[in-house]
Amino acid sequence: MHARVTAILVARNGAKHLERTLEALSRQTRQPDVVITVDCGSSDKTADLLAAFGPTHIISAGADLTFGQAIATAARILPPPTSDGEMLWLLAQDSAPEPGALAALLGELEIAPSVAVAGPKVMDWHAGDYIHNFGQSMTPGGSTVTLVESELDQGQHDGMGDVLAVSAGGMLVRHTVWDQLGGFDPALPSADDALDFCVRVRMAGYRVSGVASARIATAGDGVAGTSGSSRGRARRKRLRAMRAAQLHRRLVYAPAWTIPVHWLALVPLALLRSIGQLLRKEPGAILGEFSAAFAAAFSGIRVSAARRRFAATRKLGWGSIASLRVSSAEVRRRHALKREASVTGVRGDRPDIRFLSGGGAWTVLAAAIAGVVLLAPLLGARTLTGGGLLPLSDSLAELWGSVGYGWRDIGLGFVGAADPFAAVLAVLGSLTFWAPSFSLVLLYFLALPLAALGAWLAASRLTERASLRAVAAVLWILAPTFLSAIAAGRPAAILVHLLLPWLFFAGFAAARSWSAAGSAALLFAAIVACAPSLTPALLAAWLITVLVSGRSVMRFIGIPLPALALAAPLILDQGLRGTWLALLADPGVPVPGPSVPGWQLLLGFPSGELGGWAPLLEMLGLPGVHASVLVPVLLIPLAVLGGLSLFLHGARGAAFSLLAALLGLATAVAAGSLQLSSIGAQTPSIWPGAGLSLYWLGLVGAVVFALRGLRRFAVAPAVTAVVALIIVVAPLVAALPLGTSVVREGIDRTQPAFVSAEAQTDARVGTLQIVPQPDGGILATIVRGPGTTLNAQSTLSSTDRTLSGKERELADLAGNLASRSGLDTAAGLADFGIRFVLLRPAAVTPAGPGSEAPVTPAAAETAGRTMTALDGNAALSPVGDTAFGRLWRDETVVGAGPNGTIPSHPGGPLGVISLLVAAVVIGATVLLSIPTGAGPEAVRQASRDAIRETARARAKQKAKEKKRTARTPGRRKSTPRTAETVTPTAPTDAAASGSATPDAGDAVNTADTVNTADTVNTADTTGHPGTTETATLQEEEHIAQ
Amino acid sequence: MLSKRGIALFGARALVGAVGLVIVVAGVGAAAVVPWPTLEKAPPSVLVSPTPSEQQRVCPGPLLTLAEDSTQAQAASSVGSAEAVYATRSVASGAGWTDPEVSPLTAPDNAKGDIDGGPLLLRVPVEAGADAAPLVSGSQSETVASETLGGLAIAACSEAASDSWLVGGSTDIGRTSLVLLSNPTTVTATVDLTVFGETGQVDAPGSTGILVQSGSQRIVSLAGLAPNLRSPVVHVQSRGGQVTANLQQSIVRGIAPGGVDVFGASSGPGRTQTIAGLLITAEAPEAAPTEAGGLADGVPSVRVLVPGDLPATVEVGVTSADGSAPGTSVQIEVQPGLTTEVPLTGLAPGMYSAALVSDQPIVAAAQSSSAGAAGRDFAWFTASDTLDEEFLVSVASGPVPTLVLVNTGGSAATYTVSPRSGEPATVDVAEGRTATLLLTAGGSYVVSGGSSTVASVTYAGDGLMASFPLSQAGPLAAPIRVYSH
Repeated sequence: MHARVTAILVARNGAKHLERTLEALSRQTRQPDVVITVDCGSSDKTADLLAAFGPTHIISAGADLTFGQAIATAARILPPPTSDGEMLWLLAQDSAPEPGALAALLGELEIAPSVAVAGPKVMDWHAGDYIHNFGQSMTPGGSTVTLVESELDQGQHDGMGDVLAVSAGGMLVRHTVWDQLGGFDPALPSADDALDFCVRVRMAGYRVSGVASARIATAGDGVAGTSGSSRGRARRKRLRAMRAAQLHRRLVYAPAWTIPVHWLALVPLALLRSIGQLLRKEPGAILGEFSAAFAAAFSGIRVSAARRRFAATRKLGWGSIASLRVSSAEVRRRHALKREASVTGVRGDRPDIRFLSGGGAWTVLAAAIAGVVLLAPLLGARTLTGGGLLPLSDSLAELWGSVGYGWRDIGLGFVGAADPFAAVLAVLGSLTFWAPSFSLVLLYFLALPLAALGAWLAASRLTERASLRAVAAVLWILAPTFLSAIAAGRPAAILVHLLLPWLFFAGFAAARSWSAAGSAALLFAAIVACAPSLTPALLAAWLITVLVSGRSVMRFIGIPLPALALAAPLILDQGLRGTWLALLADPGVPVPGPSVPGWQLLLGFPSGELGGWAPLLEMLGLPGVHASVLVPVLLIPLAVLGGLSLFLHGARGAAFSLLAALLGLATAVAAGSLQLSSIGAQTPSIWPGAGLSLYWLGLVGAVVFALRGLRRFAVAPAVTAVVALIIVVAPLVAALPLGTSVVREGIDRTQPAFVSAEAQTDARVGTLQIVPQPDGGILATIVRGPGTTLNAQSTLSSTDRTLSGKERELADLAGNLASRSGLDTAAGLADFGIRFVLLRPAAVTPAGPGSEAPVTPAAAETAGRTMTALDGNAALSPVGDTAFGRLWRDETVVGAGPNGTIPSHPGGPLGVISLLVAAVVIGATVLLSIPTGAGPEAVRQASRDAIRETARARAKQKAKEKKRTARTPGRRKSTPRTAETVTPTAPTDAAASGSATPDAGDAVNTADTVNTADTVNTADTTGHPGTTETATLQEEEHIAQ
Repeated sequence: MLSKRGIALFGARALVGAVGLVIVVAGVGAAAVVPWPTLEKAPPSVLVSPTPSEQQRVCPGPLLTLAEDSTQAQAASSVGSAEAVYATRSVASGAGWTDPEVSPLTAPDNAKGDIDGGPLLLRVPVEAGADAAPLVSGSQSETVASETLGGLAIAACSEAASDSWLVGGSTDIGRTSLVLLSNPTTVTATVDLTVFGETGQVDAPGSTGILVQSGSQRIVSLAGLAPNLRSPVVHVQSRGGQVTANLQQSIVRGIAPGGVDVFGASSGPGRTQTIAGLLITAEAPEAAPTEAGGLADGVPSVRVLVPGDLPATVEVGVTSADGSAPGTSVQIEVQPGLTTEVPLTGLAPGMYSAALVSDQPIVAAAQSSSAGAAGRDFAWFTASDTLDEEFLVSVASGPVPTLVLVNTGGSAATYTVSPRSGEPATVDVAEGRTATLLLTAGGSYVVSGGSSTVASVTYAGDGLMASFPLSQAGPLAAPIRVYSH
């Protein structure tokens, strides 16, 4: 019996690879008897190439033909097979067979009549010594398994014979069997077409064999099988196709009675798998996951057709192929091995960070000790008070209840959106769930070490030198704005300063890692929640990053999403009110501060007075020393270093740093002139310190660039700058001991003990707090229960410039209470549920850090008048002076009154929806940010990319070697570059040119980095080929295992 | 050796760096130097005008004398009874003159209160629907001529307050000063008295926690708290209810009475104080004669106290009411916490007004005396607050009542003084000037036309002298601005 082989070559815009394929085809030792080419609507010169080759038949078909359909089309023009000796050789444009491939395949089919399908060992197109794939199988659950994939071919798999399936490209199949089974399932356009076909072949009683001696190179064009492209879109499409194919096969293979179960499980499974995809850092696969599930759910005709076709040819039971399946455990084991090989550390220290050996631990430890020493007066505190510090709610339920859209229990209370900052506080408070308020104390004591840690790590992105990282950490914790925020009791500003370096740290890695991108998104949301005034600057930085990010744009584009999801209800509320600017208002308690001139902001002092030097020198009375001269002079070293960075190596990075600094300064200046919120008669401006934190971040970055550029001359300027800065911030550092800090140890309540006791039995007991204002007016607010909390504060309330009817009513009541009046206040008190009236000390305007203007005569007069009026009020009986002011009570008031009760379901559907959206977005981001490592697909992709890189590098190497031999060795001037290669201190460069494989998963980052670095080095240097080669080889070893 | 390429690279780097530096410096300079506009939105507030409340005035009641029996040195008893004149005028319903509801307050410290009557409480309830309190005024007078008391004492019926300053009195030899605390409110008042003297604040046991029951008057002898003070100033602070504070001072010279006066609170601490109507009856010598440790009797003087912590520079200007006599102006340094007497020398007899301008808040009052055939008398002229457009005057009986108007407003004013029955009179007063107008004893007048006025009524007879300032409803009922968040 003479075998007759019909080679069917399918091409679709494949001119790039077709030439080699055709040439390889013509070099076959056993030439195919008939060659049919199918041109699927190519628009390039594919058709010309095919015509030039001179096949037996040329078929021009539509572009939307799948591989299976194209083969079937070609097979139709053949006469029906008359013997088992007629074979079809399925080839794609990128299937370049080695000369003996067809002979080997044919040999397999000729030797064993039971074998109906023979598949070659598919090699990589560029790196010919790597196996692309060889043999396919399924797990017991039906998932596709490629038996051998991306391995260095050392003959280790040449013993493979019987397999469950082979891949489509290069498959040799008996024409009779092909016709009997009806070819590939049309419902499987790309993925699993060959697998499904081979399974049916097996079940029809034939065998499928892998032939190691037949080798065919493939480039992964996606004509036969799925595309191997690493581009995001192709990759998402592939993932979807693979899932769709798996679901289709499941519905086809499953016993009829289980189909309803499978059908019902489609969408829930998609949901579960989506979470898995997030953890696997494949957010792009989620859409495909659902579309595949829905497509499978509504593909009844295709499924039933496939089931009929399968049933018609099926002769054996599933047990016949059980031995050919691969157990799931084995799959996992192989995957884990591969991952381990390509990952040196995901959770642990990255090799370029060296936190312990690089002195980071010592820096943080020193900062921790300094923090404890400086905050010693607060040791043992359970809560803090002063400035913007208030306790948090006592229970987690209340704490989380103040998140989202709903009842804002501040003043009279209203229905509206919470500040995103409430969510930050809820997270913070949950850390110390036994006493949420204690988390703020903890924040204070950990502020310095955490700032040092963040800055140290952020600096590790810029420099290898441990000493420079330490300098960056010291400069960062000594930032005047940070110390001012600590002294002024502004937890939000402290958090901003702690999180900003982390944002840089994560954002820097986001180009390569989904996990880092997720972390950056969360940090962005937290920072924007703490300081909405930073939003414009951060969005500008984000926009620049997106514009320059190139292929990794998808990782950056979603970074503001969690922030948006958190703030959406607030944006809606302020938008409805028409007060867009009010979105920038600081969350938390409005803290009035002095107006700070621009040049003080430039020097880094958000609350003026040159950080306390002005009053200190005045007090000391040193002749000839002016704070306004001393402080700027001491800051000159920092400014000079910042400017110098533009002239040294790494100027591009320094320019970005200084741009960030300018953005920060602009934010600070703008913040200082926006007085959006109000407390009583005072309208505090936005805290400029948040902008100054960004300013300082940019400045420290530029200084690090400069010091890095100065190399061994960096020591003296660094020490000078640090010492000078220490002197500058000395009064701020010692703010607590000097008594210029407003932060004090808090007692456990914010209301008089009498009220707190009453609140134990009635949580809604109302207290009217009256605060005389500097202009002689009063601030009258109702506080319910034990007192107001930080998480209950709302910028919707503090930026409101209108008064509701109820507020006017309350104002009228308060005005009459504070006056000799004929109004029957008892009715009003009962109406609002006011059982206590507290006259607080008069409000004062702060004049600088730690200093306050005296109580104005008008305020003193109002205080006296109010006290007189309250004393004379028959409805009220005096309780006495308390730590919070003078207290009166009205025994007759029972309950919270008609105006004091919280309506049920205040948020309505909007509250539920906004909460759900926020929860989904934040939850997804959290899942994404967890560094769980990559999924199999990412590992596969990374291996392939690594192989490709290796091949490319090798090709370049060869080209260079050729060049070099032509050149005289004396003309090499690669010395500085070689130095750079040895100590790669230019990460910006690496990042800019690097990430040649941006879509590779997280787990393989490190491998990628190393690999990329090698490539870059190879490309950039004419240096030591030997070292590079070794590194590349090691890399190959890793991947090949 | 730098190659050409190296030099080019260096040059390019320097150029780009310089451009960057210029941008940074420009940006930084713009941020620091340019005065950026600020956006401030006024916080929302409501100006609440308190609901008008019942008006109350307390007339201090008859003159008192301490028991001569040394065993009951602190027991007081009344001498004769005071005669009060009062009137009220509705704001809402046009020219409606009525009389206030009058009820006596109990004076448990006065042994003869049952016979002579006690202090009077004048009450004017709020008319339904009225958005302003009714005007009310009252004054009382009493003339005595006994062995220990002699002279004319006229006092205004005034509003209760929680914080008032009594500037005047003396506990020197021959002088008796009684602090009268009347509580018209429904709540018991706890009163603290702080006494300042020429040597500073007096540590006076028993001066704090004085309970004044609702609807009663307590009489406190100042000598019992702070003896031998030539020039006390008493700060009266009450908690709970409010009190009307008055001080009765009498002088005995040898065996002859040297005069008596009852006066109310001076206006509270302020940088300017105005005393309308300061009567000088005798040519004062150029140099003030002094007695041991102080000014001699009969020398008109101004008593000043700085309640704060910083010394004050006070300028005392005295101007003649009719412009006929030259005034005087003197500038003095006043130490905080020490009462200071400033003699007013070189003034011709006549009606004057005094204005004190200080750089620190002060309290002040003036005194003057008169000697005649019938005997001697003296009077305290207290500083008083400015009055709004319309106010009432009720003139208690006494010799030659004269209305003194000081126009403290920014423009000239024509005052219309309309009696309860009779033809109105008008008087023009230029800004900053003083005018006088004779009134009829026992009558009530409504004065309108001014925008900012300080006014008093003075009486002058043969060896008789008295004065009381005019006041209106206190600042407690003034509109107040209320912020809600």
